[in-house]
Amino acid sequence: MVTLNRKVYTTLFIAAFLACAVFPYIASGFWIRLVTLIFLSAILAQGLNIIAGFTGYAAFGNMIFFGMGGYTVGVLMTKVQVSFLPSLFVSGIVGIVTGILLGMLLLRLKGHYFALASLGAAEAMRQILDNLTGLTGGAMGLTLPQMAGKPAQVNTNFYYIMFSLLVLSFAATYWMSRRRLGYALKAIKANEESADVMGINTTLYKIVAWSIGGLYTALAGGIYAYWFTFIEPATMFDVVVVVKLFVILLLGGSGTVMGPLYGAFIFEGISEIVWSRFLHLHLGILGILIILIIFFIPNGLIDTVRRGFSLKNIRDTIREQRV
Amino acid sequence: MNKEPILTGQHVSKYFGALRAVDNVDVEVYAGEILGIIGPNGAGKTTLLSMINGTLPITKGKIFFRGQEISGMRPYRIAELGISRTFQIVKPFPGMTALENVTLGALFGRNRERDMSRAMERAAETLKRVRIEGKEYVLVEKLNVSERKRLELARALTQNPDLLLLDEVMAGLNTREIEDIMALIQEVNRAGTTLMVIEHVMKAIMGISSRIVVLHHGQKIAEGTPAEISENRQVISAYLGEKYSRGMQET
Amino acid sequence: MFSQAIINGILFGAVYVCIGIGFSLAWGVMNIINLAHGSFIMLGAYVTYSLFTHLRIDPFLTTPISMFVLYFIGYASQKYLLNYVIRSSIFITLTFTFGLQILISNIALLIWTADYKSVAPSYAGEGLVIGDWVIPYIRLGIFIIALILTGLFYLLIVKTKTGKAITATALNLEGARTVGVDVAEIYARTMGISAALGGAAGALITPIMTITPFIGGPLVGKAFVVAILGGLGSTMGALVGGMVLGLAEQIGSLLLPSAYQEAIGFIVLVLVLVFRPQGIVGKQFY
Repeated sequence: MVTLNRKVYTTLFIAAFLACAVFPYIASGFWIRLVTLIFLSAILAQGLNIIAGFTGYAAFGNMIFFGMGGYTVGVLMTKVQVSFLPSLFVSGIVGIVTGILLGMLLLRLKGHYFALASLGAAEAMRQILDNLTGLTGGAMGLTLPQMAGKPAQVNTNFYYIMFSLLVLSFAATYWMSRRRLGYALKAIKANEESADVMGINTTLYKIVAWSIGGLYTALAGGIYAYWFTFIEPATMFDVVVVVKLFVILLLGGSGTVMGPLYGAFIFEGISEIVWSRFLHLHLGILGILIILIIFFIPNGLIDTVRRGFSLKNIRDTIREQRV
Repeated sequence: MNKEPILTGQHVSKYFGALRAVDNVDVEVYAGEILGIIGPNGAGKTTLLSMINGTLPITKGKIFFRGQEISGMRPYRIAELGISRTFQIVKPFPGMTALENVTLGALFGRNRERDMSRAMERAAETLKRVRIEGKEYVLVEKLNVSERKRLELARALTQNPDLLLLDEVMAGLNTREIEDIMALIQEVNRAGTTLMVIEHVMKAIMGISSRIVVLHHGQKIAEGTPAEISENRQVISAYLGEKYSRGMQET
Repeated sequence: MFSQAIINGILFGAVYVCIGIGFSLAWGVMNIINLAHGSFIMLGAYVTYSLFTHLRIDPFLTTPISMFVLYFIGYASQKYLLNYVIRSSIFITLTFTFGLQILISNIALLIWTADYKSVAPSYAGEGLVIGDWVIPYIRLGIFIIALILTGLFYLLIVKTKTGKAITATALNLEGARTVGVDVAEIYARTMGISAALGGAAGALITPIMTITPFIGGPLVGKAFVVAILGGLGSTMGALVGGMVLGLAEQIGSLLLPSAYQEAIGFIVLVLVLVFRPQGIVGKQFY
């Protein structure tokens, strides 16, 4: 059994935080970009985590928030000449409103129905944006203005912007998990009917959860749009990303606060290795990876490490999940 | 017992298409009493309970709790007004310990604790009340039937309800466990909680109820004290058949 | 115009029936939303393509062969993979089948490359002309085979021992186990049948679609709608669901710009899910 006591954990945590804070000063552009991407994945995974990991609603269409956020920033900056930060602010609002509206419509559905209906929503939105060529550039995409400054400096700027969102969203999630909202979501996931008769307004809490996750995801989308300066509906609403996020949650542990970050590091790390060596097999390896992970460590890597890596544990886990 | 009922159901009905699961039932529950609900399987007992706590929407009729109309309210709102219930097939929160299950009960509802540690304390006390000692940190999946039933009861109790609805809480228990839970129910009642209890175990329900309501095919066919009910021909007929009750007349 | 749309709707609907029936079976019996079903269809199409290109066998005649090959692939996937993760949460099983889908697509990519492939039998483009209506032979063939498959499937479920075991397992898992049904084996056979039906669908779509390793994705989307519209696990349901989808699309494209087809489809889907989750036909296994 591997457990870290409080002091050690806190020290490591602070050390990691400081390391991230000074990272751009000691690393090259390539690594800064890589870590920024890891932060992005972690934020997106956390956004999904709140509705899926904590509340138990597998939102396969969660990229709808990413796309809405990204396009809000894109359209505001290109068509209305609004600067980045106000646009980002609006994209956050868009994220929350989308969460509320979509939530009111879809959160009454359960299980698979919810998962795929949310995917349908994302696909429908993708198609709509594909067709609003005048506004969004349609399938050919939208090009945003670039941030002023030298490429290396811009790179570092985006590192810190993404890092800030990471810290804020994770802190908010931590705070939420220790309050009534967090417990309500856990109760809903465990047994929604019981939660209901116990005095938990399940509809309200579910909508709040999805909107919070939507907020993080939309803001991330807005930052991504300005960072990459080019967005198109196909990538902004891509379902394969959500599957990747589920794998990240599986790796790091869903329903936990830090899980998305651990998972993102592990996943993107493996991705980098595979990409650089086995480029043409990349997706195929992702497929195998998904299968292996679900088979052997469905509770997440952290949980498996904590319980101890043993053949017995693996066998027990499989036994719990098999027919 | 007070004169005014704390719960009133007027012409309460639940139709599933052509099926009248509950048909025009009037019911009153007085503060401080234990009202027993009996009837053959399929009589509509659980359906009636589910309409009271909001799990099932009411088709016709109205239900009032303390003068306020609660028919049509969502379950969580009714819980916040002071009505708690247990389920026939228990619905604990899987993957959590007994203490965690009950703590969640203490964190929500009308008397919710603001503070996590106080919620846990209250939960621990409630667990003691239902005599689950030493198993607070055991996962619910590992508890036996009797313990799970008492856990479900604890989760409802920890919210200090004014009205507690119990749905066949004795199902699956052996004689000893039934006696224990009967005593527990009476303790809860003495401490001030009004109860509506659905039960099949005749000796138990007759023993603890102050009044009894009998349902059959969705309708109320009798109401009265346990003594009155046990001699009511219609009730006997419903449970044991026409012939038996006719036969009884001759004795 | 309108009446041709109805005819097209029925003919296109037949394809959807084939695509959806296996998917609905897996979902209704095992509660698995098999995102890899599209890959099964894709593999069926490639089997047909290979047989047509190398051995000049007519695509319709390759249907049984595609079914045969896919039965084993489906059976093995269930027996050695899916059965081991089947009781975990939704997002795990969905992600798992998605992973499987990615894997199969990429293996297909390695074998057949991403080049567009097509199958064009000699009678392609020809059809029956009755007054104002045109009924292409290929579409007619698909329609007939769809009906035959549905009928055979129905007989399988109702008349054979395996079929009855499948129904029993779907209705009451524990009960079936108690009376001695080997649930793991029945699940494996169910997936085998599901994949075989997918393989048949693959064979049938080769003359009307270009084939790439990635056609699976959108097909699963269609299968999902067919299953929802028709109600899970119901043969009649898949038939109705497929036809309704076909008709809705054809008539819809007459009335509305096709650009917003998916948005409209989504709205219809949500309406059905919210107001009639048991599907149009109404019987529900799950």
